[in-house]
Amino acid sequence: MRVLVVEDDQVVGDAVQRALTLDGFAVDHVDSAERAKAALQAESFDLAIVDIGLPKEDGMQLVKDWRRKGRSVPVLMLTARDGLSDRVNALDLGADDYLTKPFQVAELLARCRALVRRANRAASSVLLFGSLKLDLAHKEASQADTPLDLTRREWSILECLVLNAGRVVSKEKLMSAVASWNEDISPNAVEVYVSRLRSKLGDAVVIRVIRGLGYRLDEARG
Amino acid sequence: MKPAAEYATSIRRRLLALLVVPATLVLLAGTVSDYLSNINPVRNAYDQALADAALAIAGHVRKDESGKLGLVLPAEAITVLRADAVDSIYFRVSGPDGKFIAGDRDLPETIVGKGNRSFANTKYRGVAIRLVSYRSEATGVTTTVAETLNKRERIRTQLLSTVLWADLLELAAILTLVWLGVSLALQPLQLLREQIAKRSARDLEPLSPTSAPVEVRPLVDALNRLFHTIEESSRAQRQFVESATHQLRTPLAGIQAQLELLIGEEERPARRERLALMLGATRRLSHTTQQLLALARSEHATFAHADFQSVDLAGLAESCATDSVNNAIAADIDLGVELQPAVVHGVAWLIAEAVGNLIDNAITYTPRGGSITVACGTRGDTAFVEVTDTGIGIPLDERDRVTGRFFRGEHSRGSGSGLGLAIVADVARLHNATLTIASGAEGSGTSVRLEFRALPTPRQQPRAASAA
Repeated sequence: MRVLVVEDDQVVGDAVQRALTLDGFAVDHVDSAERAKAALQAESFDLAIVDIGLPKEDGMQLVKDWRRKGRSVPVLMLTARDGLSDRVNALDLGADDYLTKPFQVAELLARCRALVRRANRAASSVLLFGSLKLDLAHKEASQADTPLDLTRREWSILECLVLNAGRVVSKEKLMSAVASWNEDISPNAVEVYVSRLRSKLGDAVVIRVIRGLGYRLDEARG
Repeated sequence: MKPAAEYATSIRRRLLALLVVPATLVLLAGTVSDYLSNINPVRNAYDQALADAALAIAGHVRKDESGKLGLVLPAEAITVLRADAVDSIYFRVSGPDGKFIAGDRDLPETIVGKGNRSFANTKYRGVAIRLVSYRSEATGVTTTVAETLNKRERIRTQLLSTVLWADLLELAAILTLVWLGVSLALQPLQLLREQIAKRSARDLEPLSPTSAPVEVRPLVDALNRLFHTIEESSRAQRQFVESATHQLRTPLAGIQAQLELLIGEEERPARRERLALMLGATRRLSHTTQQLLALARSEHATFAHADFQSVDLAGLAESCATDSVNNAIAADIDLGVELQPAVVHGVAWLIAEAVGNLIDNAITYTPRGGSITVACGTRGDTAFVEVTDTGIGIPLDERDRVTGRFFRGEHSRGSGSGLGLAIVADVARLHNATLTIASGAEGSGTSVRLEFRALPTPRQQPRAASAA
């Protein structure tokens, strides 16, 4: 996995580069929008981490420019500003995710992995999460190479959770992931599917209930 | 010199005083001159009638055969002469030697001086009279006619009351016109006053200079310049705060990330511990910086009228809670929401800052295994957002003081800056919201509630009605 880090601050840039390298990414670090453009022109990347506050041309402009030129590389924006409008702007411009400085390294890595995972869903037919493996083409899941016996709806819920791993997924979102053209699903049904999934997955992953907000899938610790 | 304050009281009063007093004086002078100019011709006419009577009587003085002067007038004529509805008429005819010839013997005469027909005011039989004496050149006979003053008094009274009434009506009309004129003339000032009075303290939009009269336009311009200066300085401060945010956050992010990486790489436990301490301190520094910036921003947000809009508390609380899920999970705390529709008029990011701080506090002061609930909803015309925890609670005697800046409670933890609730209190003040600190369910833990004036919510089903 190849990542382009566009960050003008040496200390932050170095930390991001080290963290991603340790996590198994190949990292290119540039400190300006100009160099970032050149890099993306020459090479292909699976992910770009872009600081909004770059000298001369800022990160928002850079992403806008990429999107206008049809470059679909997933972008995680880093920013020192915390306004809600900045977040909305960044996402509207075509960024895929947004992280405010200062951030926790674990959070950064989780977001990066999730972005790559989602981007790869289109390209490849296999999703990996911890010891879980989801075969998108055949709608089959396995855990540590042992096939899991999942119903179609359980599979849809698991897919939705894996694609949004590390984030809170609302019950409404899971309902719409499960519902097909001609049938509606009740919120209670979602609870039933999740609890069945939990018992089938065992300790491999954790599906947390976030009261009133939804569910969150995390890798089991330790 | 009058003291300045007296001039400052009321333009209306000054204008009225300056117009009414001179107008009254001018009218009074007019009344006097009207009276005088009317009374003189009347007096002259009466005098002329009196003199005519004297001439008529003088024409009837004849010498008889013995050469003795006498008044040859029948008794009926004398009765006619004396007949008057109002006044008593007297007359006397005396010879060249002053000897009484006819009429009223004791009627005084005036000395006929330069002009013939000499008039005088005097008293006769205890009553004021007007008399005229005429001395005939041919005979040297003096004829005197007098009358009491009843007629003259009556006409004087009539004249006086007519003139006074007319002028009083005129005065009343003028006073009314002055009052109306002053009120109308001051109306633009009144409008300007209302325009300024109904502005909110946050409103720094310039006043329209065309709506003000020319005379106060310099005042309006000065006000607009002042508004502009305040807005500019507020904007400058905002920009300063924004760039301070950026300048502080980036190095803090660098230090924090590098420390996290170092802790992961370090194998010696003693060093790891020290690095962890440094990381903790850096995180607190980040947190406090964030809070200080929030405080600074909330202060000048007082002037940033544009930021106020309708805010969906449910959406805002949901996003605040979602942002804190990581921290809650790390602290092994069950963080959840119970959200009902609630919409208020406010500054979204400030309310988010307040709710975020409440959740942070709850996470800090709630032991492992505890729970935190973020709730919002509408009760009548009140919209509320509330964070309830099962933590250590705030002692009763500290509840009034916890909203002070840098207040540290007896049981406060090392990581608190003492600014969290101060920010919440600031945000509440800015929104005219009520901040209530109470115990949580069953008297333990803490429940902090913000109550706003509710805006109408779009009718919708309660969000996430059944807990997931």
